[in-house]
Amino acid sequence: MPSEVNLNFVNMKRYFFDHSTTEKFINFLMTKGKLIAPHRKGEHSFAYEYVSDIAHIVFDYPRTIQPLKKFFLPPQETLLTFNIESNTFEEEKIVSEKYIFFAIHSYEMQAIQRLDYSFKRGNPEANYLTRRENVLFIGISFTPDEWHFSKSVGIEIEKTDGFCLFFEPVENGYLVFEVNQDGRELLSQFGSGFLVDAPLDLEIIEKNFREKIKYHFNRIPQIFEYVYDSKVWQEVAQRCVGCGTCNLLCPTCYCFDVRDEMELNMEEGKRQRFWDGCMLNTFAEVAGGENFRDSLDSRTRHRLYRKFKYSTKFSGELYCVGCGRCSCYCPADISIIEIVNNLINDYDQGQSKQTM
Amino acid sequence: METLTIEKKKLYNPIISDIKRVEQLTSLEKRFEIALPDNQILGHMPGQFVEVSIFGFGEAPISICSSPTKAPTFELTVRNVGRVTNKMHALSKGNRIGIRGPFGKGFDVALFQGRDVLFVAGGIGLAPLKSFIDYTLAKRKDYRRIIILYGSKHPSEILFKKDIELWQGIKDVEFHITVDRPDEKWKGNVGVITTLIPPLKLDVENTTAAVVGPPVMYKFVIMALKSKRIPDENLYLSLERRMKCGVGKCGHCQINESYVCQDGPVYSYARIKELQEAI
Repeated sequence: MPSEVNLNFVNMKRYFFDHSTTEKFINFLMTKGKLIAPHRKGEHSFAYEYVSDIAHIVFDYPRTIQPLKKFFLPPQETLLTFNIESNTFEEEKIVSEKYIFFAIHSYEMQAIQRLDYSFKRGNPEANYLTRRENVLFIGISFTPDEWHFSKSVGIEIEKTDGFCLFFEPVENGYLVFEVNQDGRELLSQFGSGFLVDAPLDLEIIEKNFREKIKYHFNRIPQIFEYVYDSKVWQEVAQRCVGCGTCNLLCPTCYCFDVRDEMELNMEEGKRQRFWDGCMLNTFAEVAGGENFRDSLDSRTRHRLYRKFKYSTKFSGELYCVGCGRCSCYCPADISIIEIVNNLINDYDQGQSKQTM
Repeated sequence: METLTIEKKKLYNPIISDIKRVEQLTSLEKRFEIALPDNQILGHMPGQFVEVSIFGFGEAPISICSSPTKAPTFELTVRNVGRVTNKMHALSKGNRIGIRGPFGKGFDVALFQGRDVLFVAGGIGLAPLKSFIDYTLAKRKDYRRIIILYGSKHPSEILFKKDIELWQGIKDVEFHITVDRPDEKWKGNVGVITTLIPPLKLDVENTTAAVVGPPVMYKFVIMALKSKRIPDENLYLSLERRMKCGVGKCGHCQINESYVCQDGPVYSYARIKELQEAI
């Protein structure tokens, strides 16, 4: 029996791709746009990269180090080039690449949708939105490792929103689900000769998340109403080194810094933006030196509140997607799940004291 | 393809503008009069800010110190404390700078109309408030009493001396000034700004206050105004943060969930009480 999480598959058309059809399909995708897929980097790490050789695509991976946001919000981006002698500038032309992202996990797709919201909200930013325009995403199922907890934040492995197609590994190949019109078009252009209706009895392996947040995700923003002064922030701060890795690797962090950099001729230069992070100690500093978040506990709290309350207040969505990157790559072994569960414990104790 | 049917905006291009006049106000502060090209009007409201751009140095958020009634030009008072402001102090009449904005929410002038207006300025906080003071003076009949309290650390740090002389000469403007540390020539009040508040006789029901100053001043001024029984929703403060992008994206100015460059810099005290990080 398919588990309840797969119910959104029931009404979708599905096809069976054996391995050779899958390979042909990927070759076809490479003719449709710039294909990006996970690649192995070193022994245990993965990265989204241009596909030059199909053999290098990794279908089964836990997570990439850097999130997909780098394609729409590059780590370093020129906003304009200027000449200080003539006091003139030219804006950087933003290219809307026709990307196809292949073998993307659901939490990553959800993260992109949250970024879409943030860059559209208020002042829709041309830089991000132009890069985001001509892009297709093809999803794939994954087996959660010890760091994944996306189910705890309401994102199932098979959540297909935002994808055009979704690949589910089965014996000898993949079931390919047609998620939307873009997916249908891709499949019809690929040629019906390769398409076979899959058997109806879906036997998709139940995949268990090992790490879990104690409470249902609907309750998390409510808990954050009560834990602003929790001792947990101090406890985390005692271990945190303030390196900002969690910010940089978070697929929904989008804060940035803007700096001017001069060319060697000292006449021309570029105004560039860089990823920035609220965990870094100068993030909330103003000219004159006042720092409005000068302690690690206040910065940790801000990071967590942005993920679980502040951004939720305007978007209705949690801005943590459960990818586990911040915890998996934290040099101080700080786990976001542990923080949230400790906050929940704190909240529970507070509640029980009140009723005593 | 997913269509993003939304009008995209180019948010980061400055408008290259002319410096029309530079005035040294104190050893640290200069006032710049700026003209946008083709007599364009900035279209700001009192309390809003712009991003000043100097190529090679970057951008800095600066509050506008002139009233919108002074258009088409506008004025910025700049304290020499950082990379951009340091470079700006080296510029003179005829030089050009980039401007983005105006940004943020300033003072909602409608909420002050028909009421007594109490201005409380500490230090460079007088710059953003001057925009509003001059606005009320330009539309004097729309407001009842105008009371201005200004506290400065030292007589040498007093800003807008000519404007202050002007305000002191206006019959229906009540202007009170104090310094923390006097010099030998100072004959006026001595003490922190809060010492000016208790003697005031206020029609509390009909008074709205606009307060701008350094973070350390707010707690004490709020306490003093609370003891006068001014309700939280009639008390407006402007908060300083590092507004880097001005368009609600970069995150630097965030106070809890609020982006100062979008929701502020002017907030009612009723709202500030909900933002734990605010003051």
